[in-house]
Amino acid sequence: MKHRIAAVFLGAAALIAPALAQPSPSPLPLPAPVEKELAARAANVTEVTLGKGMLDFAAKFMDNNDKDQVAVKQLIQGLDGIYVRSYEFDKEGQYSTDQLEQLRQAFGTPEWTPMVHVRESKGGESTDVMMKMVNGEPHGIFVLDAEAKELTIVLILGPIRMDQLSELKGLSGLSKLGDIEKDKHAKDKTDDKGKAAKEGDQ
Amino acid sequence: MNRHSWIPLGCAALCIAVIVPWVALAAAGGGGFDGVVNSIESRYHEHAMRIPLMGLASVVAGVATRGGVDGVHVAEFEHFSAPVDGEELNRLVEEKLGQGWERMIRETSRHGGEQTLIFSHPEGKRMGLFILDLNGVELDVVQVSVDADRLNETIIKYKHHDRDDEHSSN
Repeated sequence: MKHRIAAVFLGAAALIAPALAQPSPSPLPLPAPVEKELAARAANVTEVTLGKGMLDFAAKFMDNNDKDQVAVKQLIQGLDGIYVRSYEFDKEGQYSTDQLEQLRQAFGTPEWTPMVHVRESKGGESTDVMMKMVNGEPHGIFVLDAEAKELTIVLILGPIRMDQLSELKGLSGLSKLGDIEKDKHAKDKTDDKGKAAKEGDQ
Repeated sequence: MNRHSWIPLGCAALCIAVIVPWVALAAAGGGGFDGVVNSIESRYHEHAMRIPLMGLASVVAGVATRGGVDGVHVAEFEHFSAPVDGEELNRLVEEKLGQGWERMIRETSRHGGEQTLIFSHPEGKRMGLFILDLNGVELDVVQVSVDADRLNETIIKYKHHDRDDEHSSN
């Protein structure tokens, strides 16, 4: 009996050891199968994964005499991570609405507040912007931009100053951040028009 | 079986736990920078050009930057014509670099033969960076260890030199 236990123990050790040597999984809190499926179908994939350590490292190279770089430095030093996934497809219909829904659901927790939600009936294009609020302060932003042949996911974690966010749009895959303010203004305008129309009806 | 007979068994288990991954790694050509380059050579049947006296160049870089840049490794594949599956290449690099290395950037083009992979590895105050770039028919593999503070000091120093030179020429 003890020999069997020993054999099982040795076998388990032999199996576990190589598994422990495997690289760590992606830190991006997205459904891993969806990420893999999208990457497998895309013609071009861009992935940016900058954890806190790397952001602190990058901040050290920012020029303190350059106003723009100082602004970026201030922004990224406080962040916990910047994650970008951009998938470009050869043809339309390479991702499903189910996959988009799974991506949205990953941020369906109460701490995430929908900020912008735009749907185009023609072509099925959509943009979602969600904000993580902690004590009334923004501590994360999630952008999901779906076009016919392109899907972009941006996730920024950590305390964010919205006025400084557009400074990051020069980074690979983060150009969508420049559109957030635009989308937000467009939404505000639409809301205002809706209110005005309602008041006019009354 | 008495209590003491578990000791050699425990030692045997420990040996297996250490030796099995080591043998697996050795069979596949070792890990780290050389492991990645060797694996690319054997997988794609291409030959890497190692830069002569790279060790000396690495030491010079270390001295010139006061330790800002260290441990420079470079390998270059010229006329790299083998078709590359981005997912497979990424897996190969991840496996060979091993634990502690995190992928920071990945740009993959299915049709264009363009692949960029950048991995980072925190080493205390230093940061290890591994860069693989395939651009058309040229594949470059670079690994460096960077001390951001010291390298930045060197960069600032040369910036000041440039400014001083500009002022004196004016």
